[in-house]
Amino acid sequence: MHSKSRYRPLKIGDFLIILFFLSAIFFLPRGEGKKIRVTVDKEKEYIYPLTEDRVLGIKGKIGITKMLIKDGRVRVIEAPCPLRLCMRRGWIRNKGEQIICVPNKVLIRIEGEQFDAITE
Amino acid sequence: MQLQSRIAYLSVFTAAAISLFVIESFIPKPAPGIRLGLANIFILLVLLSCGFKEALLVGILKSVVGSLIIAHFLSPSFLLSISGTIVSVTIMGIAVRYIRGLSLVGISILGAESHTFTQVLIASNLFLGKVSFTYLLLPFVLLSLVSGSIIGIISYWLYSKLERKIEIA
Repeated sequence: MHSKSRYRPLKIGDFLIILFFLSAIFFLPRGEGKKIRVTVDKEKEYIYPLTEDRVLGIKGKIGITKMLIKDGRVRVIEAPCPLRLCMRRGWIRNKGEQIICVPNKVLIRIEGEQFDAITE
Repeated sequence: MQLQSRIAYLSVFTAAAISLFVIESFIPKPAPGIRLGLANIFILLVLLSCGFKEALLVGILKSVVGSLIIAHFLSPSFLLSISGTIVSVTIMGIAVRYIRGLSLVGISILGAESHTFTQVLIASNLFLGKVSFTYLLLPFVLLSLVSGSIIGIISYWLYSKLERKIEIA
């Protein structure tokens, strides 16, 4: 069917593919974030600064997701979803990091100060 | 390959793919959506030893039967799993058929990346909102590069062990 050992030695194409996908490293967002953007059900958006410490309650699809902002980082402290993956995600502080709660349709993302071209 | 041995190999590979899929779901993950894709080893072997249609069948069976066993059938994660499988098997089939100069490792990476791409595309459109697409995609591209390479190396090793036996049978 196929000639023997056609797939056995590593070939040049493999390295090209690895290099291509490895280049994603250069596009990763870096640095500490300045504000968080909370999106509920793809429609409502709320933006809060990361500089002042506080507790937020956001109403999602099935209940209220409570999050805590402290020392420039944010985490979910109370969630109505069954698996509570968003709570287990822990603190996030860097640009581009996000916490996602699929059942409650809440998306929390950290953004930088200036307008991000990738966002739009 | 004779019909009987084809059927036998297909059943063994399908059973192995489903078992790995189920076992893998019991391994604790650092975050949702991150998995090695061990079942892909056997989909790759089927793709090489039997052909594209058979590999697609094994992939779909793996998603359907596997998610019936771990009770995810028709849930969002089942939708993600089956669509990712169909796209990645198609891409790997095209790579095997038309692209020269690729070893199993490259083919496996292509499969892993297309699987990830489909899943992120569907997840961000259906469940999360389009904005999350680029931010989600980049880290997952790197992760699936790692998992695709690992799976590729394993199937490379396994195929070199099995190659002669499959060809003779």
